[in-house]
Amino acid sequence: MSAVDERVWGQPCAGVAALERELARMRRGRTAQAREQVATVARAAVVNIVVVARREIHAQRASHTVEQLARRHPSRTVVVLGDPHPDPRAAPEVSLYARLPSLDEFDQDHFEQVLVRAHGAAEDRLASVVTPLLVPDLPLFLWWTETPPIGARHFEELVSQAHRLVVDSADFARPEETIPAVASVCFVGAQHCALTDLNWARLTAWRELLTQFFDVPAWRELLPRVDGVRVSFAVDADGREIHPSQALLLIGWLAARLGWRRVDHLAPSEAGGLLFAMERADGQRVRIRIRPRFEIGMTEGYVTGIRMEAPGDAGRTEFRIHRDGASRHASATVTRDGAVVSERILPLPRTDVTELLGEELSILASDRVYEEALAVLVTLA
Amino acid sequence: MTASANPLRAGLRLARVAEPSILVIFGGTGDLTTHKLMPAIYDLARQRLLPAAFGVVGIGRADLSDAEYRAQARDAVAHNSRSRPIDEEVWRSFSERLFYVSVRSEDGYDDLRRRLAQFDAQLGTAGGRLFYLATPPAAYAPIVRALGRHDVARNGDGWARIVVEKPFGRDLESARALTHTVHEVFREDELFRIDHYLGKETVQNILVLRFANAIFEPIWSRQYVDHVQITVAESVGVDDRAEYYDSAGAMRDVVQNHLLQLLTLVAMEPPASFEAEAVRDEKVKVLRAMRPIGRDEIEARTVRGQYDAGYIEGATVQGYRQLREIAPESRTETFVALKLFVDNWRWEGIPFYLRTGKRMPKRATEIAIQFRAVPHHLFSAEAREGLDPNTLVLRIQPEEGISLRFGAKVPVQGIRIRSVAMDFVYGASFLVDAPDAYETLVVDALRGDGTLFTRQDEVEEQWKLVDPILAAWRESDGEAPRYPAGTWGPTEADLFIGRDGRRWRQP
Repeated sequence: MSAVDERVWGQPCAGVAALERELARMRRGRTAQAREQVATVARAAVVNIVVVARREIHAQRASHTVEQLARRHPSRTVVVLGDPHPDPRAAPEVSLYARLPSLDEFDQDHFEQVLVRAHGAAEDRLASVVTPLLVPDLPLFLWWTETPPIGARHFEELVSQAHRLVVDSADFARPEETIPAVASVCFVGAQHCALTDLNWARLTAWRELLTQFFDVPAWRELLPRVDGVRVSFAVDADGREIHPSQALLLIGWLAARLGWRRVDHLAPSEAGGLLFAMERADGQRVRIRIRPRFEIGMTEGYVTGIRMEAPGDAGRTEFRIHRDGASRHASATVTRDGAVVSERILPLPRTDVTELLGEELSILASDRVYEEALAVLVTLA
Repeated sequence: MTASANPLRAGLRLARVAEPSILVIFGGTGDLTTHKLMPAIYDLARQRLLPAAFGVVGIGRADLSDAEYRAQARDAVAHNSRSRPIDEEVWRSFSERLFYVSVRSEDGYDDLRRRLAQFDAQLGTAGGRLFYLATPPAAYAPIVRALGRHDVARNGDGWARIVVEKPFGRDLESARALTHTVHEVFREDELFRIDHYLGKETVQNILVLRFANAIFEPIWSRQYVDHVQITVAESVGVDDRAEYYDSAGAMRDVVQNHLLQLLTLVAMEPPASFEAEAVRDEKVKVLRAMRPIGRDEIEARTVRGQYDAGYIEGATVQGYRQLREIAPESRTETFVALKLFVDNWRWEGIPFYLRTGKRMPKRATEIAIQFRAVPHHLFSAEAREGLDPNTLVLRIQPEEGISLRFGAKVPVQGIRIRSVAMDFVYGASFLVDAPDAYETLVVDALRGDGTLFTRQDEVEEQWKLVDPILAAWRESDGEAPRYPAGTWGPTEADLFIGRDGRRWRQP
């Protein structure tokens, strides 16, 4: 059980009212300082963010990310840090800390941070602490840093107040089962909570690049005739860490958009890959292969390449996007019967969580395309 | 077929997609291309915003090979792109689709037609063509005619569009003549007149602020607004384009386009949709409702000025007439202030004060909506010493944002009131992300979206307002009052607004 770093967080506050007083006191201090420099202090917040973590490293990373985003998305952030393995015999205990990080020379308050440190089996108490800490009238983004505990009371209590639940399916052991389960929790009840999967957000650039091929009229004609897709994703050198969730989401997306239906269930192929077929709207088969590849510099689970093939009158056309781990670029290539027709090199930098989350924070609506891609994955599982 | 027919497009956040095409830039080696266009196109490539089938063809008089042109363009991008250093791999891939065609004579256009057909085949661009006139204005009409005569503009079923830089004409007559010439080859919906102010994020934000918020629109009228001030101040002189400027002046350079655009966005009625024609219809209505400035009102409703030597940020700067390229007796105005009225239900009797100038103390563009004072004062004159009427300021540059000023009680015993400002600043991270106006406008033209471009009737109404003022100034014997560089214009400008019991803001 690690202690809270009091050099950063100061002394714990005795309750929510005391914590609000402490934040007000910090703001006043800031204003007095600003008045000497004839600056106006504004308190701004457009969103409540609640980060739930059981490991300190996750909590730190998440709060760092939110802090970096604070000028773009000023927020009150509540970091809830529990124990990774709570001792059921220890008395549950919850303590509160407040921070007002200074972000820029203007000393505008864009960011208030609250730490809720829970010890022992305190889960069921969390919602009662978090709820009064939220700024009224602002949406709540709930960022769950681990696989969400489906069915757990504290998870559902927090989700029921949230406008958006942020998860990362890259860490899910059985993504094709866990993602739909999380989705079903989000979509019950009167209040529809939108779901963000950071792993889906990582695919945005891939989807854009793939889509651009088919903005060209001559190539778009080939789209209904695609009969083969290969997606590769990164694994570590000895092939132990197999996380195909990104690759599966990409296939789910293609299938949903192009109206492909399930023929078989997912079947494992050699070395942790998957091999199966789907059926096009015209009844023809599409062969799909998902295979792990070792690439230096690529994070496990990340998509490294995709190929789509289609027969045509002028020969067999292949659309290929490839990114190797060492590079910040991808190549988007079109070949006909093996000869290059078009090749472009485009930047495809690895997007960090800050960027992904920043994008997600600017959207409140749910992502229908993601939900449809998930629906296909559910049929394949 | 349009890009929307691509089934994979659905739900992609990148909804704005340029169609496969070739962008043909006349003035391909000129200043605008070097400083703005080429960097903007490269930045689009870097953000993956260009279509998979796309090419750029620079046109110039010089005899350059593709390789030489690519080297020039690379320099332009390396110096002027908003993302530096240049991404070598992206540049290499992009520059393979960058070509140069020298057009010096009529034959040159035939060669251009052949080369374009060749690029279409090579790049799969399907004949979509965007012509961009980044040349001096004198060349616009000859180029357009030659495009028509040599059958370069269109390629079978492919679309054709043309972008014309400002100034669009130098008065109503020449603007009409230019439109007429362009219409010989391109339809009005294929003609995109650029006013790069409209590409700026904060200018578009005026519409969002007004029409996406319910609280501002009810008070956005003569009942609550006392007056509106719109300022476009520049601290720079005219150094790098003195010759053009001396023939244009502040009125043609800034008022006719940028200032009137800002005014119409502030004053327009809500359009029924955010579509090109709906938005532009409402803007034109504002221009049509503007009370013309007749000859007898020139004194009361206009002020012009010309800067003398002075100081900018501590450094000595030359006066306008001292510049080498400027005739010592030049009467060109470098400062304009106007008092305009929009004679319609919403704005009857409310003055819009516009001002622009070179060599002002700082660079600032802002729109200030000054609201009326409260109808009856409860608090003593002493208590409201520090209180000004409510003001909503839309700042466009340098620090983009919105600020609302209101009175608050100073926390002491008794009542003392002070004005405080509630500021919304587009954060530093926003500024970095904000696309350059030219990126926005190039993509819009490639998509065929004319919302942010000026329509024929709009540009004609602008000139109708401006022409009589220029004529009256020209015919008057008096010279433009002078002001020292580094000040907010001539004293006459202060007296001008002072007569109405108001004063200029300090942006």
